[in-house]
Amino acid sequence: MKGPAALSDPVQEKIQSLSQEDFEKILQVFREKLDADAAAYLNSCVHCGLCADSCHYYLATGDPEAMPAAKLDLVNQVFKNYFSLLGRKLPKFAGARPLSREMIREWVDSLFGRCTMCGRCSLSCTMGINIFALIRAARSALAAGGLVPPGLQSTVDTAIRTGNNMGISKENWLETVAWLEEELQNEVGDPRARLPVDRKGAKILYTINPREAMFFPLSISAAGKIFYAADEDWTFSSANFDVTNYGLYNGDDEAARIISGRLLQAAEELGCRELVLAECGHGFNSNRWEAPEWLSRKAGIPVRSILQLVAEYIRERRIRLDPSKNPKLFTLHDPCNLVRLGGVVEEQRDILRHSVLHFIEMHPNREKNYCCGGGGGQLAMTSFAKRRIEAGKTKADQIKTANAQVVATPCHNCIDQLMELKKHYKLPIEIKTVCEIAADALVIDRPDGE
Amino acid sequence: MLYYRVSKAFFEPVIMSLLRYSVFVAFFVSLVLLTVLVLQTLSFGRRRLHSRAEGKRWQGMAYALGRGMLPWEKESAARHLPTYVAGMIYHAGVFAAILSVLFLAAEIRPPEAAVTVFRFFLAAGFLSGAGLLLKRAVQPRMRYISCPDDYVSNLLVDGFVLSGLLSSLIAAAEPVFFILAILTFLYMPLGKIRHCFFFFYSRLLFGSYFGRRGVLPRKRPPRLEILS
Repeated sequence: MKGPAALSDPVQEKIQSLSQEDFEKILQVFREKLDADAAAYLNSCVHCGLCADSCHYYLATGDPEAMPAAKLDLVNQVFKNYFSLLGRKLPKFAGARPLSREMIREWVDSLFGRCTMCGRCSLSCTMGINIFALIRAARSALAAGGLVPPGLQSTVDTAIRTGNNMGISKENWLETVAWLEEELQNEVGDPRARLPVDRKGAKILYTINPREAMFFPLSISAAGKIFYAADEDWTFSSANFDVTNYGLYNGDDEAARIISGRLLQAAEELGCRELVLAECGHGFNSNRWEAPEWLSRKAGIPVRSILQLVAEYIRERRIRLDPSKNPKLFTLHDPCNLVRLGGVVEEQRDILRHSVLHFIEMHPNREKNYCCGGGGGQLAMTSFAKRRIEAGKTKADQIKTANAQVVATPCHNCIDQLMELKKHYKLPIEIKTVCEIAADALVIDRPDGE
Repeated sequence: MLYYRVSKAFFEPVIMSLLRYSVFVAFFVSLVLLTVLVLQTLSFGRRRLHSRAEGKRWQGMAYALGRGMLPWEKESAARHLPTYVAGMIYHAGVFAAILSVLFLAAEIRPPEAAVTVFRFFLAAGFLSGAGLLLKRAVQPRMRYISCPDDYVSNLLVDGFVLSGLLSSLIAAAEPVFFILAILTFLYMPLGKIRHCFFFFYSRLLFGSYFGRRGVLPRKRPPRLEILS
């Protein structure tokens, strides 16, 4: 993993062809993305290096380029070069460097290719520097120069163009929902069981990760079954059902604003009183925390994770769970964007405690949990795939130590990464979402008496 | 010889007085430049947040400056306990040196007990600082992230702390202590020693961010109460 990875050709070519105007634009956007908080953070780093082993990339490889301080320094070198007195007058002494072609190459390679923006380093930082936010500011500058690795950029482009990141057509989406509704009716023995779409005035607008529709329909069924058991008043949107927002990762605030804005708009148009987000770490962070900042307005309606809703169902006895239906040993992987950066920490544990017989925590856990390596848009950037799997060793080791049979995780990006880690590191585990596990434990009195 | 003695007797007090005044001037200049630096930082603009808070900012900030710095809360401190302890002692030594030089320049003689405490922290602080400098120079991963400013800042402050210790033992070391104090104060806002202020700024921002999001301080895991 040492040294630069082969950057994808389009990015290499783009870097080679950058004009003076492009450099100025990148620098201008970089400056615009730095607020007083960011400037304070950049003035704080003392290169103590204590952040190093908080990062799964560094832990897995020992590569100094993977140290959070080294990644942050790439951003800081440019900051010093243009915005600090010592950096301007004595650049070599202060460790300042201009935004050159070489520096941009290093930015792309490290800030896109060696960081999942998981935020774990910030907890370990002596100064408390919000490193992931600074890395996102630099990614924003790169995005302005058209320097986002192609896989990640095309994910954002597809979401902007089609309304969801996998380009699922409305017809396919509606067909999938109809098919799953039929399955649900058979499963619960109730022909009135529904997966409603575009129901005006429903209390809840529920959103999914498009991967659920394409590859993991059981996740949709699980949510539908829980809503059915809780007798919830809810609906899908036919046009805006995608909880993901890769604008968080490519740094393009305008794209992020459009993508998250659509969900809120759909909820408003349908007259829904709450937006409930499927199990998706970055989708939660984007829509719950960042969207109001991108949109420069309050959300208007509560935005919650389905985990918070299901925990509420359990507390209010709206659903009954029988843990004996899940007799295996379960553990939990905490998605960084949901837990460390999102604040949803205990709800998934509450649900699992009521849904399974045996539960064991991984260590460390909650806000200190290790990133699986699937965040930061890494799953979309094929040029960095080898590094992603290598960096996942930290999580694979953690899973091996927990020695559980099933790993629960409320995030489809995490699931994709864990499935790859399972294959690569030969982990004898099943991987499920929390709602899938809760749905398996549901006690439903079938109207047909079966 | 007589000329030398006379001139020494005349100039030495003058030079010492000049150095004493210069310490205060440098300290003041340092504060002014740090203020300018803060204003420059604030000129980047603050953003008003629109998302609904989940937790309390002040609780996060209190955590960040208090419990959140303790080794059992902070993984990096627990993993690198010797470095963490050395860092704490080093900074205690620096504060002891600053207090010592200000007292000395003001010709205030602290109580003997305080002088003993200062000497302890100055000695321990110097050893810790030298140890951290050695670590930076020897460990490849530390060298990788270091620039000349890192070494110079550490050397300068180590010299300042050591001269503070020596001047508390030998009066002849006082001019060196004053000179190194002046250099340290003037360099403070320029190089990485500026973190003496930005440490608090960053920790508060960190606490505010994670406190607002309801992540820190970590709540005691509640047992889910089933409503009847």
